[in-house]
Amino acid sequence: MIQKTVIHYGRQFGTALGLVFLCIILWILTPYFLTFSNILNILEQSSINAIIAVGMTFVIITAGIDLSVGSILAFSGVVLAATLKAGVPLPLALAAGLAVGSLCGLVNGFLVSLGKLPPFIVTLGMMSIARGGALLFTSGRPISGFADSFRWLATGKFIFIPMPFVVMLIIYILAHVLLTRTKFGRYTYAIGGNEEATRLSGVNVRFHKTMVYLLSGLTSAFAAVLLTARLNSAQPIAGIMYELDAIAATVIGGTSLMGGEGTLGGTLIGALIMGVLRNGLNILGVSSFLQQIIIGSVIILAVLFDILIKKQSK
Amino acid sequence: MKTLLIFILIISFTFIHCNREEKSTEESDRVRIALVLKTLNSPFFIDLKKGAERAAELNNIQLVVQAPEREIDVEKQMQIIENLIQTQVDAICVSPSGSRELLPAILKANQANIPVLVIDTRIDETAAKEQGIKTVTFIGSDNYQGGKLAGEYAGSLSDKQLRVAILEGIPGHETGDNRLRGFTEATAAYANISIIASQPANWERDQGYNVMQNLLQAHPVIDLVFACNDLMALGAMEAIMAAGKLDKIKIIGFDAVEEARKEIQRGNLEASIAQHPSEMGRLAIENAIKAVEGQTIPEYIPVKIELITRQ
Repeated sequence: MIQKTVIHYGRQFGTALGLVFLCIILWILTPYFLTFSNILNILEQSSINAIIAVGMTFVIITAGIDLSVGSILAFSGVVLAATLKAGVPLPLALAAGLAVGSLCGLVNGFLVSLGKLPPFIVTLGMMSIARGGALLFTSGRPISGFADSFRWLATGKFIFIPMPFVVMLIIYILAHVLLTRTKFGRYTYAIGGNEEATRLSGVNVRFHKTMVYLLSGLTSAFAAVLLTARLNSAQPIAGIMYELDAIAATVIGGTSLMGGEGTLGGTLIGALIMGVLRNGLNILGVSSFLQQIIIGSVIILAVLFDILIKKQSK
Repeated sequence: MKTLLIFILIISFTFIHCNREEKSTEESDRVRIALVLKTLNSPFFIDLKKGAERAAELNNIQLVVQAPEREIDVEKQMQIIENLIQTQVDAICVSPSGSRELLPAILKANQANIPVLVIDTRIDETAAKEQGIKTVTFIGSDNYQGGKLAGEYAGSLSDKQLRVAILEGIPGHETGDNRLRGFTEATAAYANISIIASQPANWERDQGYNVMQNLLQAHPVIDLVFACNDLMALGAMEAIMAAGKLDKIKIIGFDAVEEARKEIQRGNLEASIAQHPSEMGRLAIENAIKAVEGQTIPEYIPVKIELITRQ
């Protein structure tokens, strides 16, 4: 048991070490990296991906996958924007946006758990459906220009910390409690570890799986709120390929695609690694083609490292 | 052993740190200008980049060129600008991926006192004014005029009935919208021209191919295709070739990229509208230098535009 805990934290520690190592390299290479304003900048930029990755972590722990997060983000974003534009009060508009995301997630969940369809196929379908929904809803046009009270969610500051990061932290704390301190969290791990055994021990696997996908839709919708506020516009074509960034953050953070293991702390570090990497490459003025190669390599190396550590601990 | 290792590490970092400071003061004498494009996988932006690089060399300034992986990714473009602000560049030239979506990023540059020059695609100027966002100038071709030029050329082609299909860019993009508006308004003056379909192919070649294929299925007779950029025109050309209808359908593109010019010479494409991206790049850098030096610059710097046909 004790050994297990050590390994558990040891792995998270490994990812954190990777982040520190990356920061040291960048600090050596450029004087612009380790400045106060740039750190705040990175925290702000990483928030959206980090929030999407919360739901993704839950889904991947159950050995599933959610490819529809980017499209759900776009769909919730345009619904939120349209309701705001229609003069609906802010809390109601937020509720509408979050409801759309949750609903898409719920449909995913139903199809995966009751329909017994592979999550890859279901969410691939939803990726297209939600994108189409967003385009249809807006006739392809972006919706822009919102009140400052709404934009404050992205542009505001809590003391000196950018609001997106504050929102992200709150979501992480709540999700972390959900994952580690509740029955729901334990069942999430159990389903990923051995679904059949979990079902036989009397857990309502269908219900919990459905809820996990709903949660993923919900966190995508939260990301949509921040993105819309940040750009002062909701685009039906927003969030294309965001699913890959979220999956990358999750697996870099040590969550196994086989299910049964993973932590939100790791995912947060994974998202920060992605954010630091992008920021650093921009600051260094690395060619955008080379950037893609570097980011891809880091994802593969991180997972390779993870697998090696796992082997050793056996 | 461990302490020694840490000690060596600290020493070497301090050394690197000092070393770097010296280097950076040397570098900071030169003016540093950032060029942020929509993408770097289109010939148009590559030409623009080349023009800018040549101008940067001639004027002995440092040029940083960055672009998101995908043209539609405004959020990444915003991140790039935020990151460049961190490196304290002297000026930013940007071709906005979104006319309104990029305003918050430009506002941040304003707050950091970095002049912003908009190139190729206009920002939404009324929205910018409302939010107190300032840009130095707009350097670009008049896309509306270009669209009109294409439309007038279409009208001059024939007196017989012309059934026109249009391939649009990404909906809501200022550039595409203006080309489209220019074309449709010019062709409205000709009674023999009727627009039978207008579909977005999102600026991309493969989508131009697919959308054209679908249009050919839906409309047995199409006489002319107007694509809002050459990549879509080239994609459409391939689709029309595959259907064996190239002799019946004329294609007009936009941008006059090198490959399109070749196809025009071969007679596969009818015409294209030439913008001069490398000229745009040169003007961007030259004016950015002026802006850094504090000279006044006109609010709009037009880049010439012309019709390219086989002649």
